[in-house]
Parts: sequence; C-alpha cells; structure tokens
Amino acid sequence: MIERSEQVRLAESLARQGRIAPAVTACYQALRVNERDPLAHCLLGGLMLAEGFCEQAARSAARAIELDQRCAAAYFVLGLAYDRMGGLWDRSVLVWQQLAEVVPDLAAAHVQLGEALAAASFADEAIDAWERALQIDPREPRAMYHLAMAALKREGMATALPGFRKAGELDPSQDDFFFALAGYDAEGLSAAAMSDIGPGIKSQLRAAHAFAANDELFKSSELIRSILDGHSDDVAALSLMAYLYLKQESVNEAMACSLRALTISTKTPTAVYALGAAFARRPALAAHASKLFSALTTMAPGQAMPHVLHAESLLGLQRYSAAGAAYRSALALDPGCVRALFGQAAVALTAGDHTAAAWAIRRAAYHDTRRRGYFWGPYDAAAEGGEQ
Amino acid sequence: MSTDTDNRHSVTGSDARRTPRRNARFPLGVNYYPLDSEASGWEQWYAGDVEGDFARFEAAGMTLVRIFISWKLFEPQVDRYSEQATERLRDIVDAAAAHGLRLIVCFFADDRHAELLDVSWGRDRDPRTDAYLIERECALVRHIVAEHRSDRAVFAWELGNEAFWCGFASGDELEAWAAALREAVREVDPDRPVMCAFDPETLFHESRVDGRRALGECEIVVSHPTMRYRTYAAEGPVTSPGSTHLDSFLLRAVGTRRPVLLDDVGAGTLEASHGEEAAALRCALYSGLMNGASGALVRRWRDMATERRKPYFIDPYEAIVGLSDTEGHPKPAMRVLREFAGVLGHLDLRTYSLTPERVAVLIPSERRSPLPALASLYSPRSCLEAYVRVKEAHVPVTLAHEEEPFDPFAVLIVPSVTDLAGGTWERLTSWVKGGGSLVFSYGGGEFGSEARELFGVDFLGHGGARARATCRVAQQDLLGQLEPFDVPADIPHFALLGAGTSTVVATDSAGSPLLTLNRFGQGRAVCVAAPLERVLGQSGLRTPPAEVQSFLRTLYGAVAGVTGCGPLVSCDAPEVEVALFAGEDDDVLFLLNHADRSLTANVGFVVPVATVTDIRGGSPAVVGGSSFGAPLEPHGVMVLRLCYA
Repeated sequence: MIERSEQVRLAESLARQGRIAPAVTACYQALRVNERDPLAHCLLGGLMLAEGFCEQAARSAARAIELDQRCAAAYFVLGLAYDRMGGLWDRSVLVWQQLAEVVPDLAAAHVQLGEALAAASFADEAIDAWERALQIDPREPRAMYHLAMAALKREGMATALPGFRKAGELDPSQDDFFFALAGYDAEGLSAAAMSDIGPGIKSQLRAAHAFAANDELFKSSELIRSILDGHSDDVAALSLMAYLYLKQESVNEAMACSLRALTISTKTPTAVYALGAAFARRPALAAHASKLFSALTTMAPGQAMPHVLHAESLLGLQRYSAAGAAYRSALALDPGCVRALFGQAAVALTAGDHTAAAWAIRRAAYHDTRRRGYFWGPYDAAAEGGEQ
Repeated sequence: MSTDTDNRHSVTGSDARRTPRRNARFPLGVNYYPLDSEASGWEQWYAGDVEGDFARFEAAGMTLVRIFISWKLFEPQVDRYSEQATERLRDIVDAAAAHGLRLIVCFFADDRHAELLDVSWGRDRDPRTDAYLIERECALVRHIVAEHRSDRAVFAWELGNEAFWCGFASGDELEAWAAALREAVREVDPDRPVMCAFDPETLFHESRVDGRRALGECEIVVSHPTMRYRTYAAEGPVTSPGSTHLDSFLLRAVGTRRPVLLDDVGAGTLEASHGEEAAALRCALYSGLMNGASGALVRRWRDMATERRKPYFIDPYEAIVGLSDTEGHPKPAMRVLREFAGVLGHLDLRTYSLTPERVAVLIPSERRSPLPALASLYSPRSCLEAYVRVKEAHVPVTLAHEEEPFDPFAVLIVPSVTDLAGGTWERLTSWVKGGGSLVFSYGGGEFGSEARELFGVDFLGHGGARARATCRVAQQDLLGQLEPFDVPADIPHFALLGAGTSTVVATDSAGSPLLTLNRFGQGRAVCVAAPLERVLGQSGLRTPPAEVQSFLRTLYGAVAGVTGCGPLVSCDAPEVEVALFAGEDDDVLFLLNHADRSLTANVGFVVPVATVTDIRGGSPAVVGGSSFGAPLEPHGVMVLRLCYA
C-alpha cells in the first residue's frame, strides 16, 4: 500500500468532485512535500489528461511510472495521452504492452494495445490483441467493435455485420435501454428489489427486472413464469420474457412472446424492442427489424438507442446513407454514444472516408474510456495496495 | 514584404504550362530540405537536382525558397571551411538567381534527418549556450554572409529554425544567442533582413520559453502551427473547422507591426489523404492572405522517402509531407499552390488592401503564467474559439496581447479569463469610458471592484460547476437575435451576479444573469457569467454544443454591429470566411469555405454591385443588385473582382 499524503488525499477529493484547477494545485503542493510521490504524479497526469493537456499528462505519468513501475493507472494515463497526441504510436504500443504485463488479466489493456497497433498500421497484430482481450473478457464490447471494423475493412459489410450485432449485444447501453423502456432506472433495479419481493404483481415485476438486470436470468424467468401463470395477458411480463429468451439466444421464443404482447397491446415499447431485436438476429428479417426500430424512435423520443438500432438494421439492408443519417440522429441526442460512433465509423468506411472513420473510432474509444472510468479503478487499487 | 522579383510570364523546363505571374509583394515559396530520403546521409546535402527543382519552383509561381546550411559540412574542422560546401552554396545561389528565386538562408537548423549541426569537434557542448561554440557559429555566419552579401538572390538571413530555438532553456539565453548571431550578420551585411524563424506561441507551448523579446530586432517574423500545437489547440482532422483557422489565428497572434511570413504551410502528417492535404493547404494559404500575411512558405517540396510507417512525432518539427510524392509526381496540393499563385498574380497589393480590424480578441497575459495555473493552458483554446466565432460572424478581427495598447480597437473580446494583470482593469475601464465595447466572459477567480463597477453588477459568489448550459433570453434583440438553449455541457464556473445597474439580457434556468449589458461612459461592457469559450475549446474529442457556438457568434456579431465594426459584407453561411480587399475603383472579395460540404453563400453589400469577375479573368457577370449567391465546394474558395453600380 502506498502511503498517501494529506495533500494527495485533498487532490483526490477535489478531483472526484470535478474541481480540476484546485486539484492540480493540491497535486503540486503534494509534490513540493514529496517529489517522489508516484500517486501525486499519477493523479496530476490523470487531471491533465481529463482537461486534454496531453503533453503535461504524459510527463507526469511517465514520472509516476519511473517511481512505481506497477502503477497501472499511470500506464493508462501515459498510453491515452500518447494516443491522443497522435503520431507516437511506437511509444503508445510499448506502454500498453507494459500495462498488459503489469496487469495480465486486464482486457482493457489489450483493447488499447490493439488500437495503438491499428493506428500504427499493424493490422494483424491489432486483431490478435483484440482477440486476446475477448479471451480475457468475452463480454468486452469495444474489442468486438474493433474486430467488426477490421472485418469490414477486409471483407466487407456482410462479414462485419454479425460482429457489430454481437458488439451491440455486449454493449451495456442496450440492456439499460430496455429497462429504461420498461420504466426502471438503475436504482430501481438494485439488490433490494431482488431480496424484498412483495406479493403484488408490481413488486414481482420489479424483482424480475432486477434479476434480469443483474444477469440472474433463471431466477428472473421463474418469477416471470409465476406471474404469467396468474396474469397471462401481462404485456410487461411477456416483453421481459421475450428479452430473457433473447439473452439465451432463443430467438423464436422471443418472437413468440413479443408478438403475443403486441397482439394484446400494440403500444408496448418493450415488446416492440424485443420483437425488433429478435428480427435483427435473422438477416432475412432485417427489413422488419428496421420498421420496428423506426417505430420505436417515435415511441421513445429523446433516446439515442432506437436510432442506433434503426441504423444497424439499415446497415443490414445495405442502406448506408440512411444508416448514416440515423446514426447522426442518435449522436444529436447523445453525442457520447459509443455504439453510434462506431456505427458512424462503419458508414464512413463504406464511403471510403478513412479519415472520418478514424476520427469517429477515436471519439468512440474516448467516450468508452470515459464512461467506464478506467482511471479511478486502477488508481484506487494502487492507493489501497489491492489487486489492480 | 517584397522580393523584388519581376512580374513576368515564362515557360520553363519540361513543364510547358504557362507560369503564373508572380506577385512581388506577396512572396510565395517553399522550404527546400537538404535530403529527400531517410536513407540519405548528411554528406548528401543538396546533392540532388537543385537546378531542376528551382525550375519547377519557378514554374509553380514561387519566388522564395528557404535553404538550410549544414554547419557539419561547412566546418568539418575548427576554423577550416570546406571549399566544396562553399562552392555548392554558390551554385545554389546562382541557380536561384537564374530562376528569379530569392533565398532565405537558415544558418542553424535542427534537422534530425540531415544532422546539420552535429560538428564532430563540438564534443557534446551545447551550441546554444557554450561560449566557444557560439564564437564558432558567429564566425561561420560571418564567413557565409561575406561570401554572399552582394547577391541579390539572398532575401534574408535566418538565424535558426524553431526546432533549434526550442532547445533553449530560458528566454534570456535565447535572447543572448540571437543578439550575438544577429551582430555577426550585421558586421558584414548591415541591410538585409535578419529573421528568427520561430512562432512565439508554438515555441512557448513546446518549451515554455518566451522568445518574444528576441523577435523585437527582427525585420520579418514568422508564424506556423506545429503538428503538436495543432493537436493541442484544434484536435481533429486537419480539415476540421478549428484546424483550418489555426494558421490565421497564429498569424494574428504574432502581431501586425512587422511583416509576418506564414510559414510551414500545409499538412504535416501522412495520416491525411492527398485530398485532405490539398484542402488544408488551400485553407491555410487563402486564410493567410485574407488575414494580412506578407508571404507564405509551404512546408516541403517533395515527400520524404520514409520507411513504410506512420510518422512519429518524437520530433514535433519533422517535415516529411510535400507537394509532390517521393517520385516527384505532383499531388493535388501542387494544383492548389499553382491556383493560389495565379490568384496572387492578379492581385495588386499596392492597389488593394484589407480594412484595418477594429475588433480584437485579447490574449491575456495569464497565458504565460507558470503551472499549476491551468489558465495558461486553457487560454489559447479559449482565444481560438472566440476568434473562430467572430470569424463566423464575418466581422474583421485580429488578436491583441494584454500588454498592448487598446486604442486601435473599438471592440475587445476577453474570453474565459481567470485573472487580468494589475492595471489592466483600470485601462479597460478608461477605454470603455472613451467609447470601447468590451465583451468579457467569466473564467473563475475573483470579480474585483473595478470589474463590478465596469459591468454594473454585484458579484454574489462562485456558483460552482454545472453539467448543463442553459440560456433564457430576457431582452430579445438587445444583443442580436439570441436563441434560448439548454444543452449538456461541462461548465466549470458560473458567476452568480446581481443585476445592479446593468441590463440582464439572458439568464440561466434559475434566473441568475448569464449575459448583462452595461452602458459605461461612452461605451458598453458586456459580461457573460460562464466561460463559454473555454467550454467549446475544451470539447476536444467530444462534440462542442452548436447552440453555444451560435450564442457566441450572435453575441460577438451584435456587439461589433452596434459599435459600428460589423461585417463589411454580410454572408448567411457562418462557415464561410469573408475578406474584402478595398481598392480605389473596385474591390476584391475573397470567400473561403471552411466546411467539408458544398454550400452557396449569399453575400450582401451596402452598395449595389454592378458586375463580378473572377480575379483570374473571364467575362464579368452582371449582378445589378446588392446581393448574390456564391457556390462553394468543400473547402473551396472564390475570389471576385467587384464593380459597383
């Protein structure tokens, strides 16, 4: 465990509150007290990177690594700074390789390594890195997106499309979207909802959704079946059942459940979503999926995900310019939508616009890194001396 | 700045096309690097086809060439100059003269490919600070200047390139070296211009050394974005709007008192396609001319033959992208250069001139403050954002440094500033009282009594960071047609203001003033309670909120308009940069599209226009009205001679 000075603790606290300038000042004070404090250098690097001052971030992170060669957060900062500065791909590759050695089971290190290798025109090595990331974590969506992009570059959209679909399924934002459509937010699906199941259908439905959201698919299925035994026309339960079937790759059953829900009520967005997602798994039904997702854009206004799903179905129909427009709609609603940015990159590639594709991928990677908070996890681990 | 090259038509070499008429008052040229391949050794200094290359430069309409002296080659042993190198330089100068070209001779250039400075007898001593080496450098300079002091082909003596300058550890050392070398030149050649080829802004960014005092003695100064500075200030593809304005931004930042040479023009990385290289070059050349550059030097003539790899910016000054490929085949950028030379050939800069700008974006002195003050890092981005937004309002704008006098300006924009230097508020107060219009946006820090009095507001405290930018318009049309907005944005600061004696023009969602206007003396003081320029400048890989961009554009345009400094030419396309060169009987209008899409810019004039003609010739098109539409390609340009009714 690395001893944290009072100034570093203050800097951390300020940084977590988003008060960057005073946090930077606190880091400098910490370094005046002890110039050899790797955490202070690492934190300073993270703060500089957060503000886009890559050269300063790289300097601080490099010093942190010099002082503590197992500081994973500093490797993250250094690699990300090099990536953003552009043109330092050889250094960037080296940093990500070192991080993969320091924390061998960190999928993100291999994803980043792949990105640096791809930027340095080492396409085959990049694919190896992304495949390695998926071996470590089969649910790593960014690696799957990159593999799909690589397939698109080499063999065209027909080969790449299953990869994009798979990446989309791994992307947590799609599940979040389903639960948001069902009227639940993240807090409503906490552990309490799973443990405190009341006798009413509302409580049971919430618990079923909570189990589903926490990957307890069998428990959720059992609960839904018991609900449907008493209320066979409950559209919310039918829609969740369809969702659960989809998660278990039972597409036909998912179609049946969602169709049943829609015959009861055509205005059930979760059922429209589930049926669209089921159709999207069958390439021959891409046109139907497209219509359903198009309808979903009006049923869930203000949400980026229906536009993304619509765009992906349009990709399957080879309507690339329409897909591009749908991705733009999604990004207008959520400029940080990782899935839409990767999709936009795919559309740009189909048009031969490699610069726009590369820029969209860089932005997607940036937003993905940001939403996953790659800095604080390893930083806290280093500070507490725990496993990184 | 004039190269005194005759205006003439000629047909040269194998390229039988008509050579553009060359404009002596706007020298156009190229950096001519000593080696074309990474595989070449340092001893192959200009061993290629110099005569043939110079013929091609002439054919492309150029008048100016920068060459780089190899100290290593010239002085292989102490105080013994190589006759072979001296003769080679003589041949280069003669070849330049034969083709109507003039040379900028750069003495000390740090070039990792050609190893120009690595004298074997230097024994790892620092050529910037070691007294003995400085003495030898002065001797070399005197030797070369004495050889060529009567050569008309030499246009200027350049002491060093920016890669060399950025090796200095302090401004004092830099100034002392520059003074010693300049003195060495002046001992032999008292008249010819002496240059220090660094951009003070990019040099400071790279080394945090302030070299501005050393530029004080230079007759010509340069501006150029390095690739690293481009990534810092305008992250994104080289053809993105922030990036295409960067050359003119730095040009303006250097100052206007002396001729500024737009240096290292064009794409610097192999990441851009040939089409993007051409678009970037077009934007840089035309926006340079439209913003008062005195000449332009393109980054490189021929691509460097490198290993098959991406460029690595370990050396941020590496120049490997040229106008033609490694085989010498012209790339699309070459056509852009020829077209530009053609336009220059038809623009008589003795007759036409830009109207002096009366609107300025203030670069605060906190730009030079040391870390941990982050203001020094935020400031250039905020200033660039403000500059681009004023450009989008089509208001003629320049940049001013905080320590400069404010009198030449009628409108000052002080974007997202944390703190101004002592005495500046007093100067601003006096200036506003005398009729100036000030637009200030709060960038954190304290709101002193002078600021409160000037803006007519009470400062109730710092409102903290916000995740959304919200604007509710309270006084429509008072400062332009502002649109309300409510968008996600990382707002780092928000000043809680009490209206006081000011008029609240817009508020946030809770009714706290966002935009206030105060009449003060003969002038106006406008306060924005949040650092909106910084919000845009810090967007980086995120998407900047278009609503905030539009808000600032409207605000700046409106303040300039009510102060009488509005657009000379109205235009309905913000992406199109407009410049009007005024003549006696007619004017020349430049329209440059910074967007990557085709559009039609509808331009309007106070006086009805009778005809417009492409400056390069052709039949006049009858307008007979005060507006017309100009179709522009992505990153396209149109240069029209306007005859008024």
